[in-house]
Amino acid sequence: MPAGRLGPAAQSARRPPPLLPLLLFCVLGAPRDGSGAHTAVISPQDPTLLIGSSLQATCSVHGDPPGPTAEGLYWTLNGHRLPPELSRVLNASTLALALANLNGSRQQSGDNLVCHARDGSILAGSCLYVGLPPEKPFNISCWSKNMKDLTCRWTPGAHGETFLHTNYSLKYKLRWYGQDNTCEEYHTVGPHSCHIPKDLALFTPYEIWVEATNRLGSARSDVLTLDILDVVTTDPPPDVHVSRVGGLEDQLSVRWVSPPALKDFLFQAKYQIRYRVEDSVDWKVVDDVSNQTSCRLAGLKPGTVYFVQVRCNPFGIYGSKKAGIWSEWSHPTAASTPRSERPGPGGGACEQRGGEPSSGPVRRELKQFLGWLKKHAYCSNLSFRLYDQWRAWMQKSHKTRNQVLPDKL
Amino acid sequence: MDLRAGDSWGIIACLCTVLWHLPAVPALNRTGDPGPGPSIQKTYDLTRYLEHQLRTLAGTYLNYLGPPFNEPDFNPPRLGAETLPRATVNLEVWRSLNDKLRLTQNYEAYSHLLCHLRGLNRQAAAAELRRSLAHFCTSLQGLLGSIAGVMAALGYPLPQPLPGAEPAWAPGPAHSDFLQKMDDFWLLKELQTWLWRSAKDFNRLKKKMQPPAAAVTLHLEAHGF
Repeated sequence: MPAGRLGPAAQSARRPPPLLPLLLFCVLGAPRDGSGAHTAVISPQDPTLLIGSSLQATCSVHGDPPGPTAEGLYWTLNGHRLPPELSRVLNASTLALALANLNGSRQQSGDNLVCHARDGSILAGSCLYVGLPPEKPFNISCWSKNMKDLTCRWTPGAHGETFLHTNYSLKYKLRWYGQDNTCEEYHTVGPHSCHIPKDLALFTPYEIWVEATNRLGSARSDVLTLDILDVVTTDPPPDVHVSRVGGLEDQLSVRWVSPPALKDFLFQAKYQIRYRVEDSVDWKVVDDVSNQTSCRLAGLKPGTVYFVQVRCNPFGIYGSKKAGIWSEWSHPTAASTPRSERPGPGGGACEQRGGEPSSGPVRRELKQFLGWLKKHAYCSNLSFRLYDQWRAWMQKSHKTRNQVLPDKL
Repeated sequence: MDLRAGDSWGIIACLCTVLWHLPAVPALNRTGDPGPGPSIQKTYDLTRYLEHQLRTLAGTYLNYLGPPFNEPDFNPPRLGAETLPRATVNLEVWRSLNDKLRLTQNYEAYSHLLCHLRGLNRQAAAAELRRSLAHFCTSLQGLLGSIAGVMAALGYPLPQPLPGAEPAWAPGPAHSDFLQKMDDFWLLKELQTWLWRSAKDFNRLKKKMQPPAAAVTLHLEAHGF
């Protein structure tokens, strides 16, 4: 008798399915195209099983005698013929199959178990869903862009592979206002993510969790409680400009604008700057830039192109005590330091300048100073002052070193 | 077409062109109109593009269904697929189709196929596969629009817009999962066959719509070119 879900009553009246007459047709066993019609039924139809379990299946042929019999029938699973010792003929029209210790399904659409006639034509099929129930999702992290939306990400359960299609559903509710909501926009930032675009409330914590469901069961993550104001991020600072500082060959000035989306909200922004030499992949990060919109980078190489990026963290928004979330880095802005007037370490001819010490000691000391600056590059006028101090010190020590030098060269 | 005024061959060639375009040019003052030619070409190009897109989509989808569906020469029984519009047709019948019938058959076929494609309830498929399917449906919708454009240009009425619930060919409810997989297989196969056939249909239409080259050739030969 035909298996499979029918339920025509469940269908709308406008869609009377042609299925019923079709299946009757099949049961009557009229062959079509000469290639063997669907004249058999496999039981069970589309079962769901746990990995490692066993399955007993039967293939029952239909047809008016002397129609097809169980003689010559065979099974394939995912296109591979199963060894005959796993099958046995139960009666004149039924072939049985015994599978043990099943592995997880080869594809999420189900393993294809097929009953073939002697000539290889397909008589019937059944999809086997073999897998594991989902594990508890964990590691939920969320962030809100400018307090307007909420995006969350999570990690599926420890083993990841359940072999079955697992549906993840992100749920959320306001702590003291009972109603569960379900997130609708999935896969926004990766396969296990969801985006809640609107209707978010401030000042009351949200409870957020993820439910994982598949054919074998479901699992629920721990509940994450968070306040939107504690997970705010924003756009990267716009209008980042990098320019030279007069003729200074080891400095660049970076200016930016605070992100406009949050300009109406009171917060103490933190900024971070990173920069690298054009050909390098190593970024240098300047960390403690608080609530300024400009910074001077020092200790740079002369005549070099630098790429600079800035990002913002709107922490303390509306008095939130938590560290906010860093924005993306701004688009890289490039600028070059002026070429060195005097040759750098290992450079060519020297040029004398009035009042300056001779090239030998200047080269050596400049090298030392640059090395020192590289370690201490940070943003404020302090470096400028220190440079002047160093120059003053150089003037003083030049007088004492001048006599010793020729021997040491 | 460079015709010399007053040249008898030239006049004949011009007349032939005008007469040929009459069905599509109800008012003769539209001789500047390129006619349905460009949109036929566009439709032809679209069928080739879709054919290419389908190849990738079908490959991925059949892998998702798993062996034996993705094996070459897989040939399961056609069951629910009986409701699909068949592209296969006798050669003589195909050649003798008039333009209106040819276009109507194409239009109706893709309407049916699009409806089935949209009904592919593959909740389990990866998000990527679902996106590819959606993208293909959009392209197929574009092809339908293009065919409609050609029919309008030629003055043929569009077949009645088919509501999504026509009983004759609406996709059936999900019977067993395996039967559904076979239906999916035949849907993709039929789509493929239709796109092959449509390319030939539109190529044939394109040739019919071109101004007759014969008169022009003779004209040139007569002048020793």
